[in-house]
Amino acid sequence: MRFLLRTLSLSYVRRHLAKTILTLLGVVVGVATFSSIESAKETLVKGIRSTVDRVAGKAQLQITMEGGVPEGVQEQIRALPGIRATSPVIEQIVTPEKGELGSLMVIGIDLLGDREMRDYGFEGDDADLDDPLLFLAQPDSAIFTRQFSEKAGLKSGGSIALKVPKGVKKVTARGVLTPKGFAEAFGGNLMVVDVYAAQDLFGRGRRFDRIDVRLDEGTSIAQGTSVLEKALGPAYRVETPGKRGEQIEKIVANFVAGFNVSSGFALAIGIFLIFNAFNVAVNRRRRDIGTLRALGATPRQVQLLFLAEALVIGLAGGLLGTLAGTTFSQAFLKMMGQTSETLYGVTSSGVVRLPPVVVLQSMLLGIVASLIGAWGPALTASRISPTEAFAKGAFQARPPGNPAMRIIAGVATLGSAVLMAIKPPFGGNPFIFAELLLGGAGIMLLVGPLARLLLICLVPLVTRCAPVAGRLAGDTLLGNARRTSGTIMAMALSLTFVLGLGGYMGSTKKALERWMNDSLTCDLFVRASANFNRPDFLFPGGLRDELLQLPGVKSVESFRATRPLYQGHQIQVTSIEIAPLLERMKYDFTQGSVETMRRGLTMEGKCAVSDNFSRRFKLRVGQSVELATPEGKVSFQIAAVMRDYGSDQGTVLLDRSQFLRYWQDDRVDIYDVSVLPGTPVGQVRDLIRVMLSGRYPALVSTRQEFIAEISKAIDAFYALTRVTLFLALLVAFLGIVTALLISVAERTREIGILKALGALPAQLARGIVQEALLLALVGLVLALPAGNLFASFMEGPLAELFTGWIMPHLYPWDILVQLLVALPLISALAAWIPARQAGRMKIVEAIEYE
Amino acid sequence: MLKLHDVTKTYAGKSEVNALAGINISIGAGEMVAVMGPSGSGKSTLLNLLGGLDVPTSGQVVVAGTDLAGENEKERSLFRRSKISYIFQAYHLMPTLKVSQNVALPLHLAGMATGEIDRKVARALKDVGLEARGNHLPDELSGGERQRVAIARALVTDAPLLLADEPTGNLDSARGAEILELLTAINRERGTTIVIVTHDHNAASACARLIKLRDGRVEGDSGVAGGGA
Ligand SMILES: Nc1ncnc2c1ncn2[C@@H]1O[C@H](COP(=O)(O)OP(=O)(O)O)[C@@H](O)[C@H]1O
Ligand SMILES: [Mg+2]
Repeated sequence: MRFLLRTLSLSYVRRHLAKTILTLLGVVVGVATFSSIESAKETLVKGIRSTVDRVAGKAQLQITMEGGVPEGVQEQIRALPGIRATSPVIEQIVTPEKGELGSLMVIGIDLLGDREMRDYGFEGDDADLDDPLLFLAQPDSAIFTRQFSEKAGLKSGGSIALKVPKGVKKVTARGVLTPKGFAEAFGGNLMVVDVYAAQDLFGRGRRFDRIDVRLDEGTSIAQGTSVLEKALGPAYRVETPGKRGEQIEKIVANFVAGFNVSSGFALAIGIFLIFNAFNVAVNRRRRDIGTLRALGATPRQVQLLFLAEALVIGLAGGLLGTLAGTTFSQAFLKMMGQTSETLYGVTSSGVVRLPPVVVLQSMLLGIVASLIGAWGPALTASRISPTEAFAKGAFQARPPGNPAMRIIAGVATLGSAVLMAIKPPFGGNPFIFAELLLGGAGIMLLVGPLARLLLICLVPLVTRCAPVAGRLAGDTLLGNARRTSGTIMAMALSLTFVLGLGGYMGSTKKALERWMNDSLTCDLFVRASANFNRPDFLFPGGLRDELLQLPGVKSVESFRATRPLYQGHQIQVTSIEIAPLLERMKYDFTQGSVETMRRGLTMEGKCAVSDNFSRRFKLRVGQSVELATPEGKVSFQIAAVMRDYGSDQGTVLLDRSQFLRYWQDDRVDIYDVSVLPGTPVGQVRDLIRVMLSGRYPALVSTRQEFIAEISKAIDAFYALTRVTLFLALLVAFLGIVTALLISVAERTREIGILKALGALPAQLARGIVQEALLLALVGLVLALPAGNLFASFMEGPLAELFTGWIMPHLYPWDILVQLLVALPLISALAAWIPARQAGRMKIVEAIEYE
Repeated sequence: MLKLHDVTKTYAGKSEVNALAGINISIGAGEMVAVMGPSGSGKSTLLNLLGGLDVPTSGQVVVAGTDLAGENEKERSLFRRSKISYIFQAYHLMPTLKVSQNVALPLHLAGMATGEIDRKVARALKDVGLEARGNHLPDELSGGERQRVAIARALVTDAPLLLADEPTGNLDSARGAEILELLTAINRERGTTIVIVTHDHNAASACARLIKLRDGRVEGDSGVAGGGA
């Protein structure tokens, strides 16, 4: 076998280098997509986790509460039994004015009391801070890691400008940390400041993000936890840093898991390219295979030969793909990091390290994909009878299998997948991925026979328009059913992916836009924080009265959102003055009505929940939601269920009075300002800006600006999806090029004869372009219903599983139009190289071609 | 050595073709037999059955004591490897392999050790007078040379039965005569049983026995009187 592989296969590769490279490229693109996404994911998630661990230092427990831990808590727990030390922490990610330095994690700690918690390896002449009091006396003091100082060119006493909520602020380096342990957190992009300075800098009021706790020797974690929980009540979370890191990791991992679909598709398409290439190789080498068999090769040996070739291609493709993947992964990490920062307020920085697991997985995937792709063709090869070596003339491939059987099997599998998706067998939807696989298998079974039918219908039409070229193209496509259906399969799969994912993206965006138009109905939005999901600054509650006093202001509502864990999901609890809100807002109720909502929330202490909350937690009007508040657990009866896209995990809406009462936190995320009729909005905006300037960070946006900004955030969220769409198209393009190159090579003799009979290069080229167009057209026609099905699946069962939302379906006309314009161009482009090859062919050589 | 008993072969298809319709032949070890007949008379079909490349629709094909009709693909492949070698009209050399690699192919398939292979290949090439061309590609050789490579490939396994389907069909008469000489020498010196399908009367006259086929039946057999050895 080694001899065959070394001589026979290698010499074949040498002779058909271009084709081999294209086959290889199929694996490379698939594996590169997988490995880059996967390693970016790993780096992001692991980075977040290790940052949590490193920053924790020697802390054994961490106390957190949604909205922040009030300062008083530290006093309250200090004297509890078993507590050795406590230390407050504020964490915030900021960006330096010089963006190329990357995000910087700011940690606010109590420098005087924190030595129990973390080791500060100070370096330089002053192996410690000379005078901590002097450091604290100057509020712009900061400590950087050596790594970051060097990167930013910072000397002791030098300063650096950071973008913080209140604007750009200069801080002065007054200490350098050895990059070890704690200082390695967040890839070393770390800055340490005094916790009270951080409170002011980031609008934390008189709260900390958390309190780190170290226990006495002899006190177990469990004992410490129970003592603290008893003292603090249910609104506080007392966790080990490991557990907290795990929580955060889980939330982020859930978000990045969505990208597995993309890697999966990339690989599936790669498999088709390999399948195609091997099919063709088997066909070309039929005669050689027959001779081998006549010389005594067993069917198994022939099969093993092709599988061994696939193994080599898989190995090489896997290796190259993994390497190629590392070049994209940094970009992927950046995109994912930004999105996870916007969505969850956590991210990690640093260089993507290629985790060995991912290398192993990628290599394995490359190999498995190749073997799967080559399996069928290898089997076909082994079944070639030795007498075929004797057959003179070109061999005509038989069409694969029995089309009727395939159609029946395809309809059956696809049908059962759809049925399972519409009527999930056991409540919930435990088989969601099985459905996806089943549906995919059904579509693959159907594509071959349907493509053939379509071609049979289309060829006469094309022939009518372009008699010579059309007939040539049609004959070639119909004459080699296997190659054609392989190419169309890859094509249809790519386009299904593009139409399905694109359609899903479009529907989601449209639904969100419609909702924003209905719900964001006031004239001005006054925010302190640019990040919607993790505010880095909150306004004090008293600001409302000041705003109301401005001339031209009709009403002001105070919006506040917190994101507590509810049954393991990070839901959103929002509060606002409900009565005035209902005056201007059009909710789309699925249960209850405006009246029940108004009465319930303002007079009866009830809550309203979003439809995805209701669906996810199976709670209806009349049932209760139990929320943990600083006052203890409180039950809120549900008065209404309405459509709301504020959180993918579910939203609970309360009247502001209820929130103030139970949470005792009057800070505000956004002031919704309505302007008196006749007053120019711009004028009021200027008044607000003047009033707030110098006191608070303030972003004042008009309704249109606010909506545009959220839309932009949504777009950023889909940036990565767009990249994968592009990859899918690239693979489709590769598929067409391969198929055409192969088709030209196989017809060398035929093309030679045509040229001898006087066919012009341009005529031949037209035939090949025609062939490409037919391939693309059939692929698209098949992808139309399949893509629609895929989109519906994602908008329905899949979205419901992950978010609880069922997105209304909107057809992605824009994408279809783009494809209709781009596909013919792309196919023509793909036909260019093969067409040139055909045009240049030397007649004599071509006719002698064996 | 070879015994065909009531062998028929029918090709199913758009219309059924009775390629062989009841053949009884017996060929002894060491014989050199020519099979002649018009195109389409079933010569190649017969040869394929003898070599175990195909199985008969009915009847028995006993080669070296084995009934090939009852064997499966794998058994027939293994049988072929050790007992049978082929020469084809169109040579059927691997176009991408060097001459020596082509000759070595059946030995590699059988999993022989490399050192031994090299020795055997060198000897086989010498036997056909091509020791200097081992590193050439088939495309770089003339037709007669190519057929000699094919013969070397057939010799190298020391199989007791050599089947040749129109070995001189693509060659001019001088080259054809050389090839026939080579085959006769092999038959004489090694005692290899040889069956040659041919259109060429020169080829036929080089053989001791002539079997004539027409429409899938034996029309004449010069060796029947003497019977198989
Ligand atoms: N694979 C096949 N399928 C159908 N018919 C075949 C096949 N091979 C040979 N035949 C038919 O069987 C008959 C005998 O063919 P063959 O043995 O090749 O004849 P010869 O070699 O004597 O010219 C012919 O009529 C031929 O058309
Ligand atoms: Mg013949």
